[in-house]
Order: sequence, then structure tokens, then C-alpha cells
Amino acid sequence: MTDQLVRTAPPTDPEAGAKRTAKRRRLRLTGLVILGWVAMFALWEYGSWWFGSRLLPRPIEVFQAGVEIVESGNFVTDFSASVLKTFAGFAVAAAVGAPIGYLMGRYNYWRAFFHDGVTIAGTIPAIVYAVMSLIVFGLSNLGPILAVALVSAPYIALNVAEGIRGVDKSLVTMSEAFGRTPQQIRREVLIPTIVPFVFAAIRMCFAVAWKVEALTEVFGGRNGVGFQIRTEYQLYDIAAVLAWMFLFIVFMLIIERLVLAKSEARLLAWRPQERSSAL
Amino acid sequence: MAVLTIKNLAKTFNVGTPRASRVLDDISFDVRGGTFVSIVGPSGCGKSTLLNIISGVEEHTSGDISLTSDSGGPARMGYVFQDPRLLPWRSVMKNMMYVQNDRSEATAGRCRKYLEMVGLTKNADFFPGQLSGGMQQRVGIARAFAVEPDLLLMDEPFSHLDAITARGLRAQLQDIWAQSKKTVVFVTHDVVEAVELSDRIIVLQPGGRIYEDITIDLPRPRRQTDPTVATLQAEVLGRLEAMKTLSRTPSSAAA
Ligand SMILES: Nc1ncnc2c1ncn2[C@@H]1O[C@H](COP(=O)(O)OP(=O)(O)O)[C@@H](O)[C@H]1O
Ligand SMILES: [Mg+2]
Repeated sequence: MTDQLVRTAPPTDPEAGAKRTAKRRRLRLTGLVILGWVAMFALWEYGSWWFGSRLLPRPIEVFQAGVEIVESGNFVTDFSASVLKTFAGFAVAAAVGAPIGYLMGRYNYWRAFFHDGVTIAGTIPAIVYAVMSLIVFGLSNLGPILAVALVSAPYIALNVAEGIRGVDKSLVTMSEAFGRTPQQIRREVLIPTIVPFVFAAIRMCFAVAWKVEALTEVFGGRNGVGFQIRTEYQLYDIAAVLAWMFLFIVFMLIIERLVLAKSEARLLAWRPQERSSAL
Repeated sequence: MAVLTIKNLAKTFNVGTPRASRVLDDISFDVRGGTFVSIVGPSGCGKSTLLNIISGVEEHTSGDISLTSDSGGPARMGYVFQDPRLLPWRSVMKNMMYVQNDRSEATAGRCRKYLEMVGLTKNADFFPGQLSGGMQQRVGIARAFAVEPDLLLMDEPFSHLDAITARGLRAQLQDIWAQSKKTVVFVTHDVVEAVELSDRIIVLQPGGRIYEDITIDLPRPRRQTDPTVATLQAEVLGRLEAMKTLSRTPSSAAA
């Protein structure tokens, strides 16, 4: 009993001790990350040796192919073509999905009408949409756009609906008490409420959308990253195929992190948790 | 001249259903221009409903309401709520401008003037989330005054604030009101607050009838520390003691 009541402070400074432990943990984690990369490349090298570097090129070959693509400079047109198609697909998805989401969030009858269809459309695998788009448009730049639109529209609709349902009724009452018109209420209360939800939808879709876009391009594109991958594949240059793929992944991650995340932070600067990252 | 006239007003929620409940019953009073009138009563007696009917957000079941405006056009109303109700995605100044009918420089100047009166000139470009609760409520007050309303409605604007902040804001409200001489209908459950602020107190009883109509004839500015204010507060409180026993009779279950 007594040893529970009498408690003396530990002899060393507890804060410094905690800092040391945290630092050691960080070091160990960084070490494991590096070890992970080394293991991955080792496995790749081993695979190249096993399958032969014609079937699975060595990392250094892929790296060289990547450098060649970047140096030749023609990757710019293909990247921008792919990015443009992805965003065009988003625009179509927003134009269709946002009004449906608005109706679903606003009126219970429309919700009943759309809900199951939109949910099912959101569950259909992206590859199905890619195939459908190819069937509709064949060899055309419209195929990838349609595929992205089909993949994204259900998410946008569901998120907008969720946003509308989350509108603060007390702000609507306030607006009415001050004699604001329905258009003013829509512009100043409803739309700002759903912007974060639309952004969440776009970021969620983006991860899937650019993969679908590239995939559709591989089979039916006339330009873009997917088109280049197909061309290199037909030339049986697997190193170039992989290089295009890696470059595109890196590029899209950069867009995700820099463009989308930054513009979201700017638009949502009024939210306390966003303010620090926006200004 | 009366700005607001209410005659035999009644309100029943869910008319024609088994859940029908009469909230306001045979309310009649009028409010002269430039006066500060409080509606006092226990929680649930229909004060907010009455304000919502006056502002037009809520329909009434029977009776008449008429509003007259100085301009001859439709009467302009300002509303201060229990919570600030600011648009979180707009700056303080943009929130003030949102409820204005025009975007002119004169209007912006008026908004700035009222922001200054509540001591928030420096915070004009802040988002509401960057202000304390008391500061947000001050923006709400400035916003309502800045529309230069024919009638200013306030629904327990200080009841969510701590006692010290609320006291400061009451003093500020008195000053702004003294300068602008707006017609105010102020709802509160706090008799002490009503005596400090009002020219007249209309007491609602549970069941939504007028229990008493008291004129407060005290010089302004009134301060809590002034013994004559305290004496009158005690007296009015005493007169309302009788209502407590009344509210326990079975006929008024609304309490
Ligand atoms: N929309 C509504 N539907 C049904 N009953 C309501 C509604 N709004 C308020 N009431 C009822 O009306 C009574 C008075 O409410 P309220 O005016 O908010 O009271 P107070 O503001 O005096 O506290 C309460 O019993 C409340 O439950
Ligand atoms: Mg109330």
C-alpha cells in the first residue's frame, strides 16, 4: 500500500528521454522504408534474371528508357493529352452527377428514384466502363473521356447529395428572415456547403480515373500515355512500356498532391484545419 | 406611430392532426416606433414562434399582423438569433453585405460603421471561425442593425454566452440602440435582462397568452450597478412569482 502512495519523480528528465525514444523510433522506421525499397529492387533484378530481361527488363534499363522519353521531350504532348482527357471526363461527370446529386439531396422523391441506380453505377468495376466506352467510341479520344465520366459521375452524385443533406437549416432560416431570394440562398449557402463534398468526390475519383483513362487509351486512344504504352508494346519494348507507366504514375501523384490538394486548401481556407496549409 | 400591430393572433402547430398543439393564443399588442419592447416568458411558452411569425418565417393560424415602414415600401426586418448564424465561408464584412439589398459604397460604409460600433473594425476580413463566440454574436448584432430595419427582432441573443460577455454585450446593445433608435422586439427568458434593456415588457405565460404588460420607466443608460435598476428588477421578478403557481395548473401543460 505505502509504495503506491509515495511516488518520487524519476531521476532523469522525462521529456528528454521521450524525445530520445521518439528519435530512435523514427530512425528505425526510415531504415525499414529503405530496406523495403532495396528488397523490391532486388526482387525485380532477380525476376529479370529469371524471366530474361527481354520479358522483364532490369530496373536500370527501365530507368534509361525513362530518361530517353524525358529527353526526347515528346512526353509533354502525351501527358497533357491524358490529363486533359481525365479532366474533360470530370467535367462531364460533374455536369451530369451534380444535378442528380442536388435532386437526390433536396427531394426525397428524387432520392427514391435515383438512389439504387446511382449506387449500382458506383459499384460497377471501372474495367467494365472502359470496355463499354471502347465499344461506343472505338478508336477515338472520346472513349477515355466517357470512361472517366462514367466512373466518376456516381461518386459526384452521391457526394453532392450528402452535402445538400448536410446544409445548415439555421443558415437558410437566417437568410429567409433577412429576405434573401432562393437564388441568393442557393449561391451563398447551398453551393459553399457542397464544395468540400465535391472535392472529396473528385479526389476519390481521381485515383481511379487516371488509371481507367490510361487503360482505355491503351486499347482505343489516338494519343496520350496509354497510346504510347500500346505503341511501345507493339514494338515489344517492355522497358519503354514500364518507363511510360512509372512516369505517368509519378506525374499523376504530383498532380494529386500539388494541384488538387492545394486548390482544395485554397477554396476551403475558411475551415480552421485548412487555413494553415492554404496561406 | 405603431410600427407593429398584432391582433388576436393564434398559432397551432400540426393543425388537424392528433399532434395539434396550440402555442400562441389570442395575442394582441402593438409596438410604437423607436421603442424597445421585450417579450419575456418561461422556455417553451412560444416566444420564438411569435418572433418567427412576425418575421414571416412561420405562418400563423388566425389573427392579424401589420407592419408599417418609414419608406412606405415593404417593411425591412433585421434578426439576431440565439446563435450567430454567420456563413462560415464568408468574411465578417461579406457576411454583413450578404443580407443587404444593394452592394453600393454607401451600404458598405454603413456596415463598417456598425462593425465599428461593436468594436470589430479590425476583424472585418476574418472568417467567423477565427472569432470567439461573443465576437461572432457581435457581428450578428451589427449585421441586423446595418440593414437599417424598420423592426429589429432579437431572440435570446445573449443566452448562449457566459455572464461576463453577456453583460458587456448588453451595455453595447444599449449604446447602439440609443444612437440608432431602432424599433426592437427582444425575446428573453431573463427578467433581469429585460428590465435593463426595455421600455416595455410583455410577459407571456405557458400556453401562449399575455400575462402582463409592464412599462419600464427608467432613465438611460441603465447599468447593473444602479440601485434603482436593481430595485425595479426585484419588483418585476416578484410580480412574476404569481405566474409560477399559475403555470402549475393542469390546463397549461406547455411548460
Ligand atoms: N415546428 C414546430 N412543430 C411543432 N411544435 C413546435 C414547433 N416549433 C415549436 N414548437 C413547440 O412550440 C412551443 C413553443 O416553442 P418556442 O416558440 O420555441 O418557445 P420559446 O422560444 O418560448 O422557448 C414548444 O412547446 C415547442 O415544442
Ligand atoms: Mg426560443
